[in-house]
Amino acid sequence: MSRARRRAAAPPAGSRSVLAGFLSLLGEVLITLGLVLGLFVAYSLWWTNVLADRQAAARGEEIRRHWQEQAPEQAGPGALDTRGGIGFLHVPAMKNGEVLVKAGTAPDILDDGVAGYYTEPVKSALPWDEKGNFSLAAHRDGHGAKFHNIDKLKNGDAVVFETRDTWYVYKVFAELRQTSKYNTDVITPVPKQSGRTAPGRYITLTTCTPVYTSKYRYIVWGELVRTEKVDAKRTPPAELR
Amino acid sequence: MYGWIWRHLPGNAWVRALISLVLVLAVVFVLFQYVFPWAEPLLPFNDVTVDEGSGATP
Repeated sequence: MSRARRRAAAPPAGSRSVLAGFLSLLGEVLITLGLVLGLFVAYSLWWTNVLADRQAAARGEEIRRHWQEQAPEQAGPGALDTRGGIGFLHVPAMKNGEVLVKAGTAPDILDDGVAGYYTEPVKSALPWDEKGNFSLAAHRDGHGAKFHNIDKLKNGDAVVFETRDTWYVYKVFAELRQTSKYNTDVITPVPKQSGRTAPGRYITLTTCTPVYTSKYRYIVWGELVRTEKVDAKRTPPAELR
Repeated sequence: MYGWIWRHLPGNAWVRALISLVLVLAVVFVLFQYVFPWAEPLLPFNDVTVDEGSGATP
């Protein structure tokens, strides 16, 4: 009797061990996938920032050195050098120091921890242009996350753009907290939905929203209130002190 | 899977633990250096620009 029971129990035990082996393999694979996804989050939200900040700091230093070598008096008008970047954006309300600004909004440009000005679909004006909209994009998360705190900007906050010779001081006057990613009207020379109807010297910051996703776009508009000449010590304007 | 790897590593437990650590670090390095940078643009988490939906810009 006991022998018969043992013999009867043997085949199920064998198939159970195959099943158990399969389940434990499945479990290990799932645990591994979970760890890999966790690592991917760490990569996206932390490591890309480390790389991008390092890259942007190196490029920024290069540009400042370049500016110093070329004293303002020597450079005539039109001596503007956009190689590597046109200047630095300072937004005190975002508390993220200076943001290097480069031409273009392609991923390989923005991924270096910079803000890019649009070259398409609507070509951005530049701060020194007579009229137009200086439109910028930067990452909300990862790759430097330069516009992470864009939601902290309120009307009246200062946005300062620094070039070799001039501080351009803008004041925020409108925002669009959520819009379609196809809404290219927000970066036109006279941005629709900003409330302005006449040409002026505007600045537009665009990034993605809500945080950690790319479903919509967050837009902030400002307009130029004054410019200040950069002095020998590069004293920042009152807004940045 | 991990049991199988552990059984096939040479040396005593300490050596095996050390080799395991090196293997884990190697995997993390490959992920951060090659796999994630490749996968990230394929995922819709980090598009920040407005565009006309042509796919020309992120």
